[in-house]
Amino acid sequence: MRCNVTGLMLCLLFLIGWSETALCGAAPPPKRIISLAPAMTEIIFSLGLGERVVGVTTVCDRPDEARSKTKIGGMANPSLEAIVALKPDIVVMTSDGNPKAISERLRKLGIRTHVFKSRRLPEIPAGIREMGQTLGAQPPADVLAGNIEKAIRDVSSSLRGKSSRTNNGGGRKALFVIWPSPLIVAGPGTILDDAMKMSGLRNIAADGKVAYPRFSVEAVIERQPDLILIGKGHDDMKTLAKGFLKSINMLDAVKKGRICFMDDALYRPGPRIPVGMAELDRCGKMP
Amino acid sequence: MTTLEFTNVSFSYGPERFMDQLSFSVAEGELVGLMGPNGAGKSTILKLAAGLLSPQKGIIMIGEHAIGTYSGKERAQQVAYLPQILDLQAPFRVGELVRMGEYPQNGAQALTVEEALLLVGLQDKTNTHLAELSGGERRRAYIAMTLVQGARVLLLDEPLASLDIKYQFDLYRLLKDIVREKKVSVFMSLHDIGMGAMLDRLLLVKHGRLIAQGDPGSVLTDEIVQDTYDLNDSIGLYMAANRSVCRALAVASLQCRM
Amino acid sequence: MKRDNSSTFLIAAALCAASLCIILVSVASGPRLLNPFILDSETCRTLLAIRLPRTAVALLMGGALGASGAILQGIFRNPLADPYILGISSGASLAASFGLMFGISLFTLSVPILAFIGAIATGAAVVILGHGWKGLQPERLLLAGVGIGFFLSAVLMLVMTISVDDGLKRAILWMSGDLSMVDWELLPAGLLLILGGLGLALTRRRGLNALTLGDDIAHSLGFNPIRERLFLFIAASLMTAASVSMGGVVGFIGLVVPHVVRRHVGSDAVVVLPLSVVAGGTLLCVADAIGRTVAAPLELPAGVIAALIGSPYFIYLLGQRKTH
Repeated sequence: MRCNVTGLMLCLLFLIGWSETALCGAAPPPKRIISLAPAMTEIIFSLGLGERVVGVTTVCDRPDEARSKTKIGGMANPSLEAIVALKPDIVVMTSDGNPKAISERLRKLGIRTHVFKSRRLPEIPAGIREMGQTLGAQPPADVLAGNIEKAIRDVSSSLRGKSSRTNNGGGRKALFVIWPSPLIVAGPGTILDDAMKMSGLRNIAADGKVAYPRFSVEAVIERQPDLILIGKGHDDMKTLAKGFLKSINMLDAVKKGRICFMDDALYRPGPRIPVGMAELDRCGKMP
Repeated sequence: MTTLEFTNVSFSYGPERFMDQLSFSVAEGELVGLMGPNGAGKSTILKLAAGLLSPQKGIIMIGEHAIGTYSGKERAQQVAYLPQILDLQAPFRVGELVRMGEYPQNGAQALTVEEALLLVGLQDKTNTHLAELSGGERRRAYIAMTLVQGARVLLLDEPLASLDIKYQFDLYRLLKDIVREKKVSVFMSLHDIGMGAMLDRLLLVKHGRLIAQGDPGSVLTDEIVQDTYDLNDSIGLYMAANRSVCRALAVASLQCRM
Repeated sequence: MKRDNSSTFLIAAALCAASLCIILVSVASGPRLLNPFILDSETCRTLLAIRLPRTAVALLMGGALGASGAILQGIFRNPLADPYILGISSGASLAASFGLMFGISLFTLSVPILAFIGAIATGAAVVILGHGWKGLQPERLLLAGVGIGFFLSAVLMLVMTISVDDGLKRAILWMSGDLSMVDWELLPAGLLLILGGLGLALTRRRGLNALTLGDDIAHSLGFNPIRERLFLFIAASLMTAASVSMGGVVGFIGLVVPHVVRRHVGSDAVVVLPLSVVAGGTLLCVADAIGRTVAAPLELPAGVIAALIGSPYFIYLLGQRKTH
C-alpha cells in the first residue's frame, strides 16, 4: 500500500515536470522472472537471463535448462498460488496464448507483468527490444532483434533478385499443415503466413477467416498446392500425416514428393525465427 | 344441509357446448357416486366442483359461497380433489405427504396428522416412501392428507379403478367411515355397478347431461343403465348377477340397494 | 413422526459438521499445504487473496446450483431437470463468452453482469415458450429449455470456431467451469443474488412441495400452481445466473446433488433446499481443492473433478435403491 502511495506521488511529481525515466520508470532490473509461455522462455534464456528465471509453464521445453525450472502450471490456466509463492519481480507473458485475465489478476496482487504483444513477424524485433528494456538486458535484445531482422531481410532480398517464375519458391502455392486430422492449417495473420509470404510462397489458406482454420480436404485438392509443409506438432508427424497425404495423393505436390516436414521454430516468436526462416526457404526451393 | 350445489351450470372446452344447464347437489355426510360412459363429463364435473375449471354459466356453491369467491386457502379448507392417477414418482414419505394437509390451515386443525393416519390405517407406515405402497394404500394416504386439510367436500376421480376387490372394499369402508364420523361429503366417479349400488346416492350422466339421480335402487334399473351406456340385450343378465350379489351383501348387513 | 424428525435433524447436523471439516481441509490444501496455525505474512497473503475467495465462490456456486436443481426438479416434476438441461446456464455462458471474446471490459463486473442478463433472458424465453393454452406446462417447458439450450450452445460453438481472439481460450474455460482466477470482486453481487434467490425459494417451500404432487393436487391444497411455479423458476434463474457469472458452467451438481440429498433426508423442501446448498457447495469446494492440488501446478477444472467424485457415489446410490 505504502509503495503505491509513494509511486503515485512520484508520478504526480513527474506530471509537474520531472522526468519519467528518472523516477517512475527506473525500476531496478528484475531478479526473479516467471515466464508464462514457451516462446517467452526461449527469448529470456537467449537474452542470457536464464539464471534469473524462477518459474516456467509445463510446456516450456526449450532450452533444456528450462525443463528443470519450477513449473507454475499451463499457459491458459497457470496456478496463481504457485506464481505468488515464487515471489517473482516480474511475470512475462504473451497476448497470444495467455488469457488477459491473468495479467489483470496478477497486477491486482501487486505483481509486475510484461505482456509481449507482437503477433506478426515484422513486429517481433520491436517486441524483443521492448522486453529487453523491461528486463534490463538491452544489448543482448538488440543483438537478437538484429538477427531476426537480418533473417527477414535475407529472405526478402534473395527473392527480389530473381524472377518469380523460376523454381526458387517464388509464386509457389503452399499449405502449412498444423495438424493433419482434423486438418488444421496456418491461416492469415500468423507468423507462419508472414514467413511464407516473405519466402515468396503463396499460402492457399490466406483467405481463411481465422488464424488457424479447420480446413476442408476438398478445398486443398481444389486449390492444388505445389508444396505441402507439415509442422511439428508431435514427435511422429510422418505417421500422423499418412492418412491426410493419402487422401490428397492426386496432387502434384504429393506425386513429386514436395512434402516438407518442418521443425517447430516458426511456431514461436523467439530466437529460433532465423533458423525457421532458413528451413522454410529450403523447403520452398524443393525440386 | 347442502355442501355442494350445481345450479344451471354450462361449460364448454371449445366453441361447442359440452355441458348444458346441469343442476344437482350433494348433502353433508353423503356418499354420492357419479356414473356414466367414458367421455360423459364425469371428470369435468369433478374439476368444476374443485374450482380447477370455471363454468361459463351458472353457479357452483361450496358451503355458503360460490367456489370462485374463496381464496386459495379458504377453498382448500372447503373442498379437496384427488385426480384419478396419483403420481407414482412423488418422492415423499407417507408422513411428509399427510403433513402437507396442514398448509392451508391457520393453526386450528380438524384432524391431526396422527389421527388421520390412524383413521386410514397407515399409522405404521409414516416413514414409508409412497412408491413402496400398494395402489390402495397410496390412495388412502392421499385421503388422509385431505382429511388433515379439513375439506368438507371430498372429490375423488375414479378412486376404485385398478384396485383389487379387497382394496375396493377397504376404500369403500374408509369412505363410509369418513362420511358417517366426520360428516364429510364424498363425491366420486366410478364404473363398477356393484360398488355404485353400495353408495348413498347415484348420478348418471351422458353427453354432459344428467340422465338420472337418486338412490341406487331407483337409478340402477335395466332401462336406465341400458340407455346410459347404449348397451344391447345382455344387460338383463349382467344386472341380474349384480342384483344377486347385492342381495347377499345386504343379508350380511352391508348397505346395498339395487 | 417424532423419530422421523429427529433422525432427519441428526443427518442434517452430521452433514453440516462434515461439510465444515471438509471445507477447512480444502482451504488448507493447494499447491502448497497451508498450516493454519503458523500464519506468516506470505501464508496470510495467499490465504486472503487466493484461497479464501476461491473457496467462498466454490461454496456459493455449488450451493446455488444444488438449490436450483432441487427447485427445477420439483416444479417440472422431472428428475432430469437442472439449470444446465433447461438452457439457463447456456444462456448465461453465451452472453458471458460474447463479452470475453469481443473484449467488452468497460468495468470489472461487465462480464458477470452479461452472464446474468443472458440467464434471465434465456429463462424468460423458456418460460414464454413453455406457455401452452393451459398456462405453464411442465413437459413443454422442459422441451423449450432443451431446445433453446442446444441452440445457444451451438451458437457459442459457432462463434468460437470462427473467432481468433485471445478471449477464446478464456471463453472455453468459462464453459467448463473455472475457478482459478476468481477474486473477492465477484463475490458481493453473487452473494446478493444467491441469497435473494434462496430466500424467495424458501418462502415458497410449501408451494414447491405441493407442485411436486402435481398441479391438480397443488390447486386442491390451495395454491395457484402457475404463480408458484413462476416464482420458483425466477428464484432458480437468479441463483443459476449468479453461479455462472462467478465461475462458468458446471453441469453435474444441479442434477445430482438434490437426488443424493433426498435419498438421505427425504423430499421435504424445507430440508432439501438448505441441505442441497450445503452439499452442493461442499462438493464444488472439495472438487476445486482437489483440482488445484493433485496435479499441481496444473489446474484441473472443478466441474470435471466434481463429476468424477460425484458420479460413482450417485451410481452407488442408484444400485442401493434397486436392491431396497
